[in-house]
Formats: sequence, C-alpha cells, structure tokens
Amino acid sequence: MTAHIRQLPAETVNRIAAGEVIERPASVVKELVENAIDAGAREIDIVTVAGGLSLIRVTDDGHGMDRANLNLAVERHATSKLPADDLLDIRSLGFRGEALPSIGSVGYLSIASCQHGARDGLEVIVDRGSKQPIKPAALNAGSRVEVRDLFSATPARLKFLKSERSENMAVSEVVKRLAMAHPEVGFALTTGERTGLRLPRADLSGDGLLQRLGRIMGREFMADALPIDGERDGIRVSGFAGLPTLHRPDPSQQFLFVNTRPVKDKLLIGAVRAAYGDLIPKGRYPLLALFVELSPQEVDVNVHPAKAEVRFRDAGRVRSLLIGALRFALENAGHRATARGGTLTVETLVARSEPPAAAPFAYRATSQAAASHLPRGFSDAMQAPFAAFDEPSADSSAAQDEVAPDLLDHPLGAARAQLHETYIVAQTRVSVVIVDQHAAHERLVYERMKKMLSNGGVARQGLLIPAIVDVGDEEAAALNDKADELAELGLVLEGFGNGAVAVREMPALLGDTDIEGLVKDLAAEILDNGQGFALLDRLEAVCSRMACHGSVRAGRRLTPSEMNALLREMEATPYSGQCNHGRPTYVELKLTDIERLFGRR
Amino acid sequence: MRLVIERGELLRALGHVTSVVERRTTIPILSNVLLRAGNGKLSLKATDLEREVIEDVAATVSAPGAVTVPAHMLHDIVRKLPDGAEIEIKRDPEKERLTITAGQSRFALQTLGPEDFPDIAAGDLAHSFELGAADLKRLIEKTRFAISTEETRYYLNGIFLHVAEKGSSRTLRAVATDGHRLAQVELSRPEGAEGMPGVIIPRKTVHELHRLIEASSAPVKIGVSPSKVRFEIGTVTLTSKLIDGTFPDYGRVIPQGNDKELTVSNADFIGAVDRVSTIASERGRAVKLNITGDKLVLSVNNPEGGSATEEIGVGYTASPLEIGFNARYLLDIASQLEGDEAHFLLADPGSPTMIRDGGDDTALYVLMPMRV
Repeated sequence: MTAHIRQLPAETVNRIAAGEVIERPASVVKELVENAIDAGAREIDIVTVAGGLSLIRVTDDGHGMDRANLNLAVERHATSKLPADDLLDIRSLGFRGEALPSIGSVGYLSIASCQHGARDGLEVIVDRGSKQPIKPAALNAGSRVEVRDLFSATPARLKFLKSERSENMAVSEVVKRLAMAHPEVGFALTTGERTGLRLPRADLSGDGLLQRLGRIMGREFMADALPIDGERDGIRVSGFAGLPTLHRPDPSQQFLFVNTRPVKDKLLIGAVRAAYGDLIPKGRYPLLALFVELSPQEVDVNVHPAKAEVRFRDAGRVRSLLIGALRFALENAGHRATARGGTLTVETLVARSEPPAAAPFAYRATSQAAASHLPRGFSDAMQAPFAAFDEPSADSSAAQDEVAPDLLDHPLGAARAQLHETYIVAQTRVSVVIVDQHAAHERLVYERMKKMLSNGGVARQGLLIPAIVDVGDEEAAALNDKADELAELGLVLEGFGNGAVAVREMPALLGDTDIEGLVKDLAAEILDNGQGFALLDRLEAVCSRMACHGSVRAGRRLTPSEMNALLREMEATPYSGQCNHGRPTYVELKLTDIERLFGRR
Repeated sequence: MRLVIERGELLRALGHVTSVVERRTTIPILSNVLLRAGNGKLSLKATDLEREVIEDVAATVSAPGAVTVPAHMLHDIVRKLPDGAEIEIKRDPEKERLTITAGQSRFALQTLGPEDFPDIAAGDLAHSFELGAADLKRLIEKTRFAISTEETRYYLNGIFLHVAEKGSSRTLRAVATDGHRLAQVELSRPEGAEGMPGVIIPRKTVHELHRLIEASSAPVKIGVSPSKVRFEIGTVTLTSKLIDGTFPDYGRVIPQGNDKELTVSNADFIGAVDRVSTIASERGRAVKLNITGDKLVLSVNNPEGGSATEEIGVGYTASPLEIGFNARYLLDIASQLEGDEAHFLLADPGSPTMIRDGGDDTALYVLMPMRV
C-alpha cells in the first residue's frame, strides 16, 4: 500500500481544530458567552436544550457586528480581538479566532447581529462547514448565536459525551465561573424547560460582587467571607475568602481568576494551600473566589486550548502576593469562627424542641431534679449517682456577680459560667458565646509556640550517619535548589550524586523521626507546588501536640477571672477561632436566633 | 489436668512470662498463657510471635495435661490471692473451663485449646556461650538508651551484639545508635562465641531480658543463630527472633582524630547540665558548652523562658571551643559513666564528639553536636 502525503481539505482541518476547542457543549457555551462579554454585553441570556446537543442559544445586548464583520467572523483565524497582532498583549477573553468556525464545522451555526443604531439585523449561517450567504434578520441591538445539532458532523464525539445531566452541570459550571468574574453583567441560564440561574446585574460600587458570589457559592459563604485586597508592583489580588472554619472535602468551591479569566492553576492553588496552612484540617479545602489582575504582558494565557492554565512571568511574586493578602485577611479576622456553628446549634435545638416521645416517668417539678435528667455527655450511664450530689456541674459563681458593662462590649463578651468544667458561657450585648476551653487554650499555646519557633530559629541536631535518601534526579535537584530555605527550618542536606541527597542535620524538635519519608514528601511537594510544606507541617504538628499537652484541659474548673482572661487572649490572638484540628473553638448564638427558638420572632 | 501449686512460685513465674503478652491483640490466643502440667512441674509459656518466655515451676501434678487461659487475668487473680496460699488448678474437660481454687475463692476461666498455641522456639541454635548476669546487664544498661525508636530505620531498633577485634584481643561488643548518638560496650570474648554471627536484638527483647536478669546473679546461657537468640536464666528461657537487617558500619562514625581533650568531674557535670537545662522547657533545646582554659561554661538560652549559665572547673589545654549539645542526650550518656571523671574528646562544633568513662575503658559514647 502506498500512502501519499496530501493537503487536508479545509473542512477536515476545521474539524480537527474543533476537537481541541470544542470538547463538549459546555465549551461552546464558554466560547459564546466569552464573545458576548468581549462585545460589552450588559445582559446575557443562555438557553440549552437536551444538554446543549439540540440547541444552544446565547443572546446578548452587546455592540453587534456589521456585514463585513459578520462575514469574516465565521472564517478561520479571524478575530477582532488582536488589534496589533500582539500575542503578548491579550486584553480580551478570546483571541485565537478559532471558536466560531470550529463550532460551524461540527454543527449548525447561525449568527444574527444588529449594531446599535443600525436599522436591520443580519444573519449568517454555517451548516456543518458550508457557509451560506448573509441575509437580513429581525432582532434588537446585540447578537444572537444559535448552535443546533452540535457534533452531528462528528458522530464519534457524540458517542463519547456524558449523560444530559452531567452536560447540563458542566454548562452551569461554566456560566457560574464567568458570572463570578463579571458581576456587572446580568446572566440568565435556561436548561431545557427549567430556569437554571438568574443572576441580576450587580452594582459594583456596593457589595455587588459579594452578592453575586453569595448567589453562586451559597449564603454560608457570604456570612463567612473575608474581603481580600492586596497590590504590589502592578499585580492586584482581590475577592473574598472564607473563614478557615468553613471548609469542604473537595476544592470545587475554590474559584480563581486571572484577568477575569477562570483558571485552575497549580501555582495559585498551592498558594491558597500555603496561606491557609495549619488553619484547615488535612484533606479539607477552604471556599474562596480570588481575582488576580496584572498587566497582560506579565502573563501568558496561550498555554492551554481551553485557557484553564496560565503562565506568569514572575510566578514567585504572584504567589507571595496571594499568600500575603490571604494571610493578612485571615489574621485580621483573628478569632472569628464560622457563623455556621451558631446556625447549626440553633437548627439542632429546633429539631429537638418537640417533647420526647416517652415522657420521663417520674417528672419532678424542681428545676434541679429536672436538670439531672438531662443526658450528661461523659457520665457513666450504668452508674447511678447519689441524688444529693447529682447537681449540674455549672460553676454559677460567675453569674452571681454583676457584669461589668465594659466587658460586654468585647467581641466575646463577659464570662458568665462554666458548664461541665469544659464550656465557658459568655454574654455579649447581642449574643451568647459558648467556648470550648480546651480547644481554645490549645490554639493559644500553639500560636505562642509557633511564634517562638519563628523568633528563636530552629535548633538542628547533627546526624552521626548522614541519611542517604534516594529520591530521583529531578527531586534531588529541586531539593538542592531549596536547600537554603530548608536549612532555615533545620533540615541540612546536600546532593549525593545520582538522584540521592544526604541529610546531615535535622530539626532537633522532631527527635528520632522518619527522615526518608519526610525528604520524599518534601521533594514531591516542591516539584508539584514549587514549595514544600511537609517540613513545616511536621514542626507545627509537634508544636501542636505539645500545645495539646500544655494547655488547660477539659474538666478543669476555671475562676471567672481566668475565664475572662482566656476570652481576652482569644480576641487578641490571630487564628484563635479554630483549634489545631480545624474545629471551631467557640459558637456564637445571636439573641435573635435564641428568640426564634422560643417563637418570639 | 489437675495440680496444686504454691501461690508465690506461680506468681513469680507469671510475672516473668506475662510481660511479653500484648494487652491488645488481633489473635485471641496471643492473649493467653499456655500451662502444661507433667513430671512434677508446671510449665508456663507466653509469646507475642516475636519472642517467647517459658518458665518451669515445681508443682504437685495429679493429672498431666495442657490448656491456655487469658494471661493477664490469671496473673491478676494469683496476685490478689493471699500470700502462702495453696492453689489448685483443674481443667474440667466437659465445660472447657479451668477452675482455680484457693481457700474459699474459686474462679472458672475460659480456655482455648493448647494445640493452636504458636511455637517459635523450635530448632537448635548453632552458637552458645555463657555470660555472667552482671556482664550481660552491663552490656544492656550502657547501650539501650541509644536504641532508635524510629521504625523506618528498623535495623537501628535494637542492640547490635557481635564479636569484634580490639587490637590483638577479640571482644564481644554491644552497640546501639539512633543516628544522633552511639553507645558501645565490650567484654572479652566468652568461650564459644567465636564464629557467632552479628545479631540485632530487638528493643522489646532487650527490655524483657533486662527485667529477667535484674534480680539474678547466675550465669546466663546464650544461644545464637542467624535468625534467633535464646537466653536461659535459671528456670526461665527467653527466645526471640532477631531484627532481619544490616547494622550500619558504625566504626566510621567513631572519631579517631579528636585531639581536644576535656576532663571533668562527672557528678559536677551532670548537676550543672541538669540545672541549666531547667530553663529549656521544650524538647530538643541545646546546652552550649564554652570551653576556655580550665573553665567550662554551660549555658542555655530560651528566648521565651530566660537563660541560665553555670561554670565548672575542668582540665583542658587545647584552643577555646564553643559547641552545643542536646541536654537530654548529654545526661543520658553522663549517667552511664561509672568513674568520677568524664573524658570528652572534641574536634569542632560540627563534628562528632567522643565521650569516655574515666573508670571504664571498655565503654565509649559518640554524640553529634547540635547547632543553634
């Protein structure tokens, strides 16, 4: 058999290109909505039917196109978005001029457009690669792009699509991400018969962005979001980040944008992880929406066909700015714990407020006796107590004093009682605060130790026999590059030829530890994220364990002044809203919530 | 099976064997002790699959037989019985219970069949020799503090016992290290140890052995093979598997050229280190040793806690030196020394330091400095 090299026909070329840009219906939606945004639309209406396979329609009120533009728009590599042909200066979402012809080659594409002030609209149709002449159309100012029978020209692709439901999810995900980046544009998404999303245009001067984020990421996020704002050397990061006590088991609620373009970038994700660090339990992810803005010359978006990854000219600077801004906000949030704690408590109480099915058979009217029927968390169920000693363990002495009014003005208020020798109940002007004394004190001790660690330097213990760890060439090089940083943390290592490193000194704090495991973890992390967390993680874990032993345990009786001192220290210490295991250290019940419990509201 | 035994005898034997029994185990029979009666004695055996302890006690056996019962429970029962009690132990074959009767007390324990009880001790050990209890104790006591607890370097989790050459004589040498410090003690080679393979005796076995010889003064018969070691101490036999690994070439880390010699009264040194390290509350805090002329200044500086210094007179003629050590490591080593004087052989603040006992030249210690 002889094979001759031949030039492929334009249609085949287009279909091959389409395979890269148009992967699934959601990619069509992405391209069309991006075009609408680039056209300066204020309202965008998206309709999909059958997961986008039978119809995708995007209607906008942007500036529209004239005849010449419309004609060119469906040609390959034709775009209005690269005015100076400068790929280093990309200011719009699209720029390749590939989307529309690609869509036209795999389905039925109709673009109708009407410029502002023009009398008539025009329409161009591309049916599976064949372009039909432009004809007049009736529509308001703006553009309407319809795609029907997507992938009818590439049946193979059609076969590999997922269920209609998951295509719908993908579409909605795409629209959400774009909508977060463009709160000034109104979005409406209709999937089949259902209205999926309705996001009104937000006012950017007020809390428009937060409102928009709240509609997409949930009310919880709105309540616990911290504004982020940082700028250095022409790079700006803004947006909102959730409190560390608000977390999820997957990173699906981490939204990152570079110049309003949604990205899933390793560097940025790593920076987020570094910033939250020990505030979040392992395997949990914070919620946030962050926008990085920088000069288009500083970032290369032309890396990934779907533009999900970007490259920064100065990655280190972006990273440190991001970490700095997040840390600053989290630190200033100080002791704030998620509002969800209070909400959850109220919900639980409401759920239990119906009388128990079987009433206690010997109901006694005195409040003390009634209290002894309450389930007592840690008491041994089998052991009957002496009735006379079986009183609630509340230390009520604090409550008997008159509360100093100035104490009430503190965020965590005035300590009023200690219950079960574990929980401090405090009162502010508008709420009741319940503090877990052990968790709270543990965090305070931990923060103190970490400060000590960073002030005093890390003492290093020399190794009699250097530990030789085989890590692989790339890993060894990565570790060597970071050798200075690691030495500051007490780990001294050097190259040992052929993909191995020799560890000569270890942080004394770690004692007799698994050196090989630590070094391998570090190497993998440095290669992945450009930075190793494992060492700091372990040092902090040791501190955290020591903090746990050195702190006030549950079960210790505290005097009112001790309790108040603890509350004041919590207010003054950053990150005291969660314990070392990421659980909240206190719960605040608003008076309004309590009133609701009793049906007063 | 039926026998009568004196309480004190049984308690002592149970005390020896039950300590190898793990409190929590996934194999039920490992919680049990095997009792085997016959020939005028009761034989007790317990194991954790890595090591086993067997002890024979004289008893009046009226019907031979074997059974296993929960070890810790039996131990607790016997301990609580009055001193001098005669205990009758009887197995009721129908009910599968073991009844224990003493005076007015009567217990019936659940049993498991003796045939399932694991046996690791089978087989002859090629090399055997005898050591005095005091000698064996010295080998253990002076080295065990340096055994590593870190499990990825499992070959450091024990004492390396082997035959070594020292000049023209041959010695039996014990070495332990955790990578930060090293301890080495030796004895002149006992008869029968020649050709013995170097073996790593696991930490738990070392501690069991030490417990067994603590009160004893009789010679201990030791049998060694490449995979097992056996100690016979009077009526008790401890057999253990060995750590299957290669002990590192520790000779390389023992410094040869350290020429700065510091001589200090050991008691003064221990007292001073202990006092100044009070300030260091955290684990791993360094003590700094500043040596100039005949003066050693020990100091600890803890930015959060304060500082402490103490000066002691020493013998030192080399150039001044400042070096840091982990306070706990210093105390661990210094407390092994028997003589009045401790000899430090130093090189520089980044190299290993050798410490020798003024009263015992068969022991040496190596310690890596700390950098602050």
